[in-house]
Amino acid sequence: MNIFSAGLFKQMLRSATPVALAAMGGLMTEHAGIMNIGMDGMILIGAFVAVSFSYFTGSAAIGVLAAVLVGVLIGLFFALFVVKFKSDEFIIGTALNILAGGATVFLLRAIFNVKGTFQGTADRPLSGLPLINSSFIGNIPVIGGIINGNSLFVYLTWLFVPLVWVFLYRTPYGFWIRAAGENPGALRTAGISPEKMKWISSILCGAFCGFAGAHLSLGNVTMFSEGMSNNRGFIAFACVIFGGANPLKVYLAALIFGFFDALGYRLQEYRISPYLTSMIPYVITVVMMVYVVVRQQRRRIAQKAGE
Amino acid sequence: MLSEKKGKTQKTKIIDWSYLFSLFLSIVLALLVGALIMAATGHNPGKAYLALAQGATGCSSIGEFFTSVFTKRQFGNTLEYTMVLTLTGLACVLGARVGIFNVGGEGQLYLGAICSAQVGVILSGMSPWLVIPCAVLVAMAVGGFYAWIPGVLKVKLKVNEVITTIMLNSVAIYFCSFLSNGPWQTTESTRRGGTQTLAGELRFPRLIQGSSLSTAIIGSAVVALLVWYVLSKTTTGYEMKLIGQNSRFSFFSGLKVDTITIWAMVVSGAICGLVGMFEVYGVKGSYQDGISNDFYFDGLLVAMIMRYNPVGIMLMSIFFAFLKVGATGMELIAGVPGELYRIIQAIVIFFMAAEKGISGLVKANVEKSRAKREAKQRLKEETV
Repeated sequence: MNIFSAGLFKQMLRSATPVALAAMGGLMTEHAGIMNIGMDGMILIGAFVAVSFSYFTGSAAIGVLAAVLVGVLIGLFFALFVVKFKSDEFIIGTALNILAGGATVFLLRAIFNVKGTFQGTADRPLSGLPLINSSFIGNIPVIGGIINGNSLFVYLTWLFVPLVWVFLYRTPYGFWIRAAGENPGALRTAGISPEKMKWISSILCGAFCGFAGAHLSLGNVTMFSEGMSNNRGFIAFACVIFGGANPLKVYLAALIFGFFDALGYRLQEYRISPYLTSMIPYVITVVMMVYVVVRQQRRRIAQKAGE
Repeated sequence: MLSEKKGKTQKTKIIDWSYLFSLFLSIVLALLVGALIMAATGHNPGKAYLALAQGATGCSSIGEFFTSVFTKRQFGNTLEYTMVLTLTGLACVLGARVGIFNVGGEGQLYLGAICSAQVGVILSGMSPWLVIPCAVLVAMAVGGFYAWIPGVLKVKLKVNEVITTIMLNSVAIYFCSFLSNGPWQTTESTRRGGTQTLAGELRFPRLIQGSSLSTAIIGSAVVALLVWYVLSKTTTGYEMKLIGQNSRFSFFSGLKVDTITIWAMVVSGAICGLVGMFEVYGVKGSYQDGISNDFYFDGLLVAMIMRYNPVGIMLMSIFFAFLKVGATGMELIAGVPGELYRIIQAIVIFFMAAEKGISGLVKANVEKSRAKREAKQRLKEETV
């Protein structure tokens, strides 16, 4: 049994995708100068909305759409407090996470009358997102087996990452969003409201977290369970910092997380306690945070010495 | 200079009435939103809130409340949870005072709980006078150490402590599950996912029969008073405040900013570890998976609502303990999911956090319209 099989890398893509999607939103707010630690709650709500709409309409696509729309609403709600009322971002983010945890459990009980997990009912099973299987992709040598047969969102993420890069670095709106965080005064002088850019970035963040949540509950598995975001919003935040808010690097960071998450699953086959292997991605995230900060400091010192 | 003076005169006010008013308003509004949610999901809000009060006090009438509330099991649980919220809230304040947010109290609590429980198992058969101090020390040391890691990372390397503490929460909870389902698992056949049950003489005596209120509340009161004393009556507390307001200024004034910050974090973690120990020795009798039901996050929210004011936290803890314990009764009697209390809690925070912004906007609007009116009037006068 080889631990580095195609299955490992497939699992890596699966685990990385929700984190990467949320991180695409997180880097928008990061660029706009908002410290957004409320992503975890946004993902959780997205996951719940996706499952409930998929259940009632019988269509996973409508579930995804609803999750993204609700994500936009939450982005608006977040911006209302952080931008309009100038509240503390840390407090609002924490409150959003708590609200999401409470509201999803409450609604799970109130609407579906279950505790813990919801997988649909016997007469109406939940419809999840389809896996994409193509013999053309599958026949590509070496990587064909890995990239074929994934959930739709894995491929969508590959589309989103370059799109976000182009949006941020090649369009005026991307430029303004970055300026809103780096130099809001200059942006205002140029006649563009930094507040407006913060609103836009929050909305985009909410939408991406909606996608991430939908993938979590309809793509990875087909069910909703309490607290299923499992701190992924914070890992996404860490990925944003690790990748310096550059979409490509952030996606790479998400892949690193996904790799160790997948490795954890694999190690269980070697009779290592699942509790211990579950720790791995979180430990790696801390290590990643420390690594990136140390590297930044080294560079700064080297720059100073160079001057 | 002027602004500094203004700040000082504001500080001398003992009670900030406008703040208390908005706090009261926020709570009332949050309860109203809670009532709306209940009505929307087909429950009777009036009945549910009555059930909540009944669930928190164990009394079904006001007369009963005055005569026999101190014998009620539910009231004991409320008091016990007040103590948990006070301690976790104060632990949060210790960090917040110096400008570092300990969001990892949950992990520190778990580790403190399981290590102190195992101390009781290893030293079983020995005198409680030896075991309990050992357990307290171990719980505080483990919790403190676990908070020291993100503290050092923040101070020495400037690693964002919010992310590291949250990640370490997950690490600690999984690690405790590993211990309680592996090497430290109980041999009792009826339970899984926990340590061996402690001997009866090791456990804190109950103050109200059947409730979770034990003599641990005395220890908690001592710790709470100590924290309050240090924060508001000693030079250390004043130094911490200075660091939190302006760490660069404090550094150049000769304060040991790094040392004080790390110690604040360590003590914060030690208190969380102690809460875990109290939970094991006072309530559960052993470490069990999921021993803390977001205790630290509840305390964190109370601390945020009260803007990190120690006395305020002690008082507000009563209200939120009432809400949380009462929610269980509400679920049993009125059938409303108990998670409603968490929604109410979050809404209070949203209102409180937005309060400054909203009042600022209202003021600005009033000012604007007044200026407009004056300008119009002047224009009229001039044209006449």
